[in-house]
Amino acid sequence: MPTPTIAEAARQIADRKLSPVELTRHCLARIEAENGALNAFIRLTPERALAEARAAEDRVMKGEARGPLDGIPIAHKDIYGTAGIATTGHSKLLQDWVPEANATTVQKLADAGTVMLGKLATHEFALGGPSFDLPWPPARNPWDPNHFTSGSSSGTGAAIAAGLILGGTGSDTGGSIRGPAALCGVAGIKPTYGLCSRYGVLPLAFSLDHTGPMAWTVEDCALLLQAMAGYDPLDPASANRPVPDFSAGLGQDAKGLRVGVVRNWHEVDRPVSPAVQAGIDRAVEIWRAQGAEIRDVTLPSLFDFQAANFVIMTAEAYSLHERWMRERFNDHGEILRDRMAYGALLSASDYVQALRHRRELCAATAAAAADLDVLVTAGAPAEAPRIDQVPKWDSLMNPGFTAPMNETGWPAIGVCSGFGENGLPVGIQIIAKPFQEPLLFRAAHAFEQAAGLRDQRPSLASGRAKAAE
Amino acid sequence: MPAKLSQADFEALVRRAGLPLTPAQISELYGNWAMVEPMLERVRAHGRGREAEPALIFRPEPA
Repeated sequence: MPTPTIAEAARQIADRKLSPVELTRHCLARIEAENGALNAFIRLTPERALAEARAAEDRVMKGEARGPLDGIPIAHKDIYGTAGIATTGHSKLLQDWVPEANATTVQKLADAGTVMLGKLATHEFALGGPSFDLPWPPARNPWDPNHFTSGSSSGTGAAIAAGLILGGTGSDTGGSIRGPAALCGVAGIKPTYGLCSRYGVLPLAFSLDHTGPMAWTVEDCALLLQAMAGYDPLDPASANRPVPDFSAGLGQDAKGLRVGVVRNWHEVDRPVSPAVQAGIDRAVEIWRAQGAEIRDVTLPSLFDFQAANFVIMTAEAYSLHERWMRERFNDHGEILRDRMAYGALLSASDYVQALRHRRELCAATAAAAADLDVLVTAGAPAEAPRIDQVPKWDSLMNPGFTAPMNETGWPAIGVCSGFGENGLPVGIQIIAKPFQEPLLFRAAHAFEQAAGLRDQRPSLASGRAKAAE
Repeated sequence: MPAKLSQADFEALVRRAGLPLTPAQISELYGNWAMVEPMLERVRAHGRGREAEPALIFRPEPA
């Protein structure tokens, strides 16, 4: 059977037409067949998964199902702490670390009845990758395993696109959910800063880190976020406010929405590939046809966001890794240690100046978008490059489209918007104002439903997977 | 465009940080420092008012 979406599986499980055990066995078989070429999982927990699936099935049969995620197979990026299961950050430095407790979001998803299949590849500590000098190889893109997944939630993007899992967790400090969503052709949301707990997740840069879900569809992301979101007193950034119904606007079209197109980013600061531009144009035309009001909006330059993000992220990350960088420098992968080393060379004044600049950028963004509901731009500049041709210093050479919303804390979702060169997917990024996730899901779902791109999955059995060997 | 910082001054920064970098690693990082310097200039934003606060200033009362 093809891997269903979470929403489809939930309906079938509720109708007792699909067994959580059967679904879990399906995913385990997919992993057995495909993970050797994709490296999406770095650790499997099949016995535990089957036990959880049997427990979910028992609840369903007794009429005690916990909701739409009960019995749904997922997996966690390996920076999410999992009690009793190694959590490595994909790094030699934590190769044998076994947390005693679950991250808050892991526990929330477990409480919702999800079935955890294992731990997923990431860039080392969510920063260094793709790397070939770590204890595990980097994840590869299911649409063509010779190509990059983007990162750092690389395993999550690959596993979802390949149908190995129905959903999973990612983290996003400069685009690590939305980048893999674009290059792997899946959906992924970086929620508003403070909506989803970061507690128990290995930090990269405290003031930019976000946790969030990834899945095949926008609707599935809404279902996962419903379980993950909520106040956590253990996370000092957590927002103490009610969690809305993220699915409330699904099924409504874009009529009346005020959409701002951030052309100065994807047409001027970093012109995108024809396929990415076509995806943005497709979204605009779909929303316009549904009755949305479309306008151009000019946000601060991507280069300004890039500068602030680089200084803040590198300084915060280095502060976390300083001791290891001094004492165990060569136990890091080359990409991580070299990128992070710049953090040792920045001054305290550089960091504070970047934070002052960040406040200016946040204010300018809010002013520019004052009379808009959502913004749209690229999720990534182009189709996935070959995995052996990813520039080590790309983040210095080119500004990204995703980091700005890590600085503002605004929610942003990556959605597949088409296919480009060699059939590789491309994605758009849709942005909303803080805590406006229901509106964001509505706009994204309206596009996704009209675009009709969710029936096409990577054809792994075609033999392209073997080309990567 | 070459970095404004001299390689000798860059190496002094590395030594101060206590990182055990090889000469080749220092050369690579120094070679890319020319891309870092414009970012540092951007965040310094000469002319910013004295009253411009950092983004992480907080309110002490409970949320």
